[in-house]
Amino acid sequence: MSAAVGLNHFLLLGALLFVCGAICMATKRNAIGILMGVELVLNAATINFVAFAYFNPVFQVEGQVFALFVIVLAAAEAAIALAIVLNFYNNHMTVDVDTAEELKG
Amino acid sequence: MNIFELFREHPGFYFVAATLVPLVSFLLILLASAMWCATRPFRYTPAGAALFNFFGGEQRGRGAAYVATAAIAIAFLLSLTGFIRFTTEQSTFETRIAGLEKDVRDLQAQEAKATDAKEKEELHENGERVEKQLTDVEGRWEHLRNTSWQSHFDWLRIHPAHANDSERGTILQLGFKIDSLSGLMFVMVTFIATLIHLFSMGYMADELQPEVEDHQVHTAHGHLHRRGRFGRFFMYLSLFCFSMLNLLLADNLFQVFVSWELVGVCSYLLVGFYFERTSAANAANKAFIVNRIGDAGFILGLLIVWTSLGTFNFDEIFKQVRAPLTDTHGPVRLAGRFVRGNLEAENASGNQSLKIADNGSQLLLFPRAKPGHYHAIGNSRGEVDVSAAPKSDEHSSMPYWMLVAAGLGIFLGCVGKSAQFPLHVWLPDAMEGPTPVSALIHAATMVAAGVYLVGRCFPMFPAETLLVIAYTGGITLFVAASIAVVMTDIKKVLAYSTVSQLGYMMLALGVGGWVAGLFHLMTHAFFKALLFLGSGSVIYGCHHEQEMTKMGGLFPKMKITALTMLAGVLAIAGIPLFTGWYSKDAILAQALGYVWVHNNHMLLFLLPLITAGITAFYMARMWFMTFTGKPRDEHVYEHAHESPWLMTVPLILLAVCSVCVAWGWPIYDAEKSWLGHNVHHAQHHAVLADFGHVEAEEEYWAAAKAEAQNERLYAHHNHHLAGNLALGLVLIGIVFAGLIYWKRVLDPAEAKEQFPRLHAFLMDKWRFDRLYSVAVVRPALVVGHWFAAFDLRVIDGIIHFVARLMMWVSKWDGIFDNAIIDGLVNLVGNVTYRIGARLRDVQTGFLRSYVLFMVLAAVGIFILLAYFVRMAMAG
Repeated sequence: MSAAVGLNHFLLLGALLFVCGAICMATKRNAIGILMGVELVLNAATINFVAFAYFNPVFQVEGQVFALFVIVLAAAEAAIALAIVLNFYNNHMTVDVDTAEELKG
Repeated sequence: MNIFELFREHPGFYFVAATLVPLVSFLLILLASAMWCATRPFRYTPAGAALFNFFGGEQRGRGAAYVATAAIAIAFLLSLTGFIRFTTEQSTFETRIAGLEKDVRDLQAQEAKATDAKEKEELHENGERVEKQLTDVEGRWEHLRNTSWQSHFDWLRIHPAHANDSERGTILQLGFKIDSLSGLMFVMVTFIATLIHLFSMGYMADELQPEVEDHQVHTAHGHLHRRGRFGRFFMYLSLFCFSMLNLLLADNLFQVFVSWELVGVCSYLLVGFYFERTSAANAANKAFIVNRIGDAGFILGLLIVWTSLGTFNFDEIFKQVRAPLTDTHGPVRLAGRFVRGNLEAENASGNQSLKIADNGSQLLLFPRAKPGHYHAIGNSRGEVDVSAAPKSDEHSSMPYWMLVAAGLGIFLGCVGKSAQFPLHVWLPDAMEGPTPVSALIHAATMVAAGVYLVGRCFPMFPAETLLVIAYTGGITLFVAASIAVVMTDIKKVLAYSTVSQLGYMMLALGVGGWVAGLFHLMTHAFFKALLFLGSGSVIYGCHHEQEMTKMGGLFPKMKITALTMLAGVLAIAGIPLFTGWYSKDAILAQALGYVWVHNNHMLLFLLPLITAGITAFYMARMWFMTFTGKPRDEHVYEHAHESPWLMTVPLILLAVCSVCVAWGWPIYDAEKSWLGHNVHHAQHHAVLADFGHVEAEEEYWAAAKAEAQNERLYAHHNHHLAGNLALGLVLIGIVFAGLIYWKRVLDPAEAKEQFPRLHAFLMDKWRFDRLYSVAVVRPALVVGHWFAAFDLRVIDGIIHFVARLMMWVSKWDGIFDNAIIDGLVNLVGNVTYRIGARLRDVQTGFLRSYVLFMVLAAVGIFILLAYFVRMAMAG
């Protein structure tokens, strides 16, 4: 085994995932796609939490707990977001978020 | 200390407690009704409804009546207990003294008879021993001779800030003074009040309904309907009882004045009990306003007493204005009298001296501290040093006319309260109140308070004041009796008869019949309460018919009422063996004695004598018109019925009292009345000093008392002469009334036609109301109209001008407001709006652009963070 996998690797992975998610959110017109981007961003954060928990004994419990929180929240958020998307689809017969401009200032 | 010990130690507390119990009852009823009213907003919530129903709901309960009656009954028992203790204490002392005195006399007589020297010496020794014992007993029990239980405490103290502690400042006291007079009055008032409370429970039963129809008030929708006021009636009665008892209890003029006003307020409230009736509201106002006139005099009297004597306490006043009976050298000349003199120039010590003279302009005031020896009143020098700012052991003086004025002022208050001429006009109108109220307040107790106060203040009334009192009483008794002859309203007859009888009492006090006047006050209370309650029973039985012209022949329908009222009629007429006889006899005898001595005041005997006949006539007329002969109005007769037992029982009890409360042994001797002798115990020595002894100035009062027995003033045969004359007139009066109104041999209408002007004059009540209308009411109204016009023109003009000025100012103010204040505010608003309009362009509504902003912002924050962290680590 060459150099052991360290904290930096995990942080790099998290950043990579975060950027992917952010770009996905910013570029996708499909609402489902945006949701997937959100999931990526959340998972990036989760990786960071777990990594810090593993490498820093001070955060051992907290990191794990926060990771679990994020997963649960992600599930809840996904359920609500999907419900919104479904309703949006029922009203507009599409999931294109650019057609949703009723809130325009 | 438990309560029994407290009463044993301070027996006066019996009376204090008796006074306070009705107050507690008043407060309880007040609290209950306040709670009842407090539920009004929540009456429809469950808790509120529960509370509301607890206090009786819409249905009026008898709770208030039970509380009030129980309170006054307790007060009666307390005062009876107290009074019995009081008399036993006194009589024990008196029998003891009398026994010892008899022993001394016997021994002295034996000594005079004895021939043997040795026996004589022995008897002499015995006599001295008994005499020593006598002085001993007298000394030990001295405080019981002129017995009164009294005590007081400071109530209000107005202490000037700059005064030091030794100056006591202005102090008003609360206290009690119980002697035979107030003790008897307590028993009398509480007894009658208890019976009247019972009677009222029956009489006022209509008020128990949630809705009462008042047939005498007409509104646009027929008769007035209102809620019943049963509880309120008893609440007022309790307050009245407390005030009246407090008035009797008081040991100082100020406390009397406070209670005086309280009973006045109760009278006002109860006269105006049916205040929806215009007549009742007017009568209440009249009673109150007329009494204000009297009370103005009362206040003046109080002020004079306060400024001249510095105290309101009865005993302290009397001690200052009258010479003491004894000093360190034994009995004093002029004992118990007013000492007058003239002020001489200042002497070396800076004090003025007062030269004693019979008709001097100044009155000598005696020191409040214990007496030393008063040379001036006994010796030939006849001069006393007086000080302008006296210490407690120095003499001072006040102008004699001030004392007369103080007496007249206080008497004016009594004139108002006791409905004497010329302020008698309110009492007949006060009959608008419910009948039990008329019986309690306007016959038996409150109106007698004026007489009571004159009796209490008697020692501070100089001869001039007493003469005014006597004449006021004389005029009143005649005027009122003459009006009573023509009245046809049963309560009005009784009202005028009350005024007339109060006149008798005043006259008696004025001519020195202190005992006679107050004795009559007590007997009158019983029979007049009886008569009023009887009339109440008649009115109740005839369904609120008061006109005697619609009655007649009611005897078979209401036997108990008729018979009890007959007892009252005979008592007031002065038929022998009825209470009224004893007291009226005493008054007439006293008046006759006075007239013997003061020949030019003949009227003071003739007026009451003639009026005795008139009294008998109109009272018999009332009874015959109501109960005998043929019914005058079939409708009233048909529906007439006897009252329930709750009302007849008090009648019977009062009738018994009206017959026998004044009895003594032997019954037929008018001078041996038990009640009269009890009143006599309370008589102040001033009465005898003023009236007991007329001619021999130089004699000591102690001797004068014995001599007075032989004076014509107190002569025994006065009683027979005056009594027999009066009895003759009384019988004539009754026979006349019987002929006219029972047998109807003579027709009253004929007499009316014979003297139409006289009849109209009497029906018009001697035109007093018209006189006051012209002399007082109309001028007041004219002045009122002037003020109204002034108000309308001047005051309103100024106000309108100010209002217009304000409007003009406001207009300009409005313009400033619109232009500048609003302009600034609008400017801020506009600027904000414009900025907002610019910023709205950022809100594209595209989700992705928001996400982009977020990401960019997050990246920016991280860059900044990284930068700062670097800076921090480097720094």
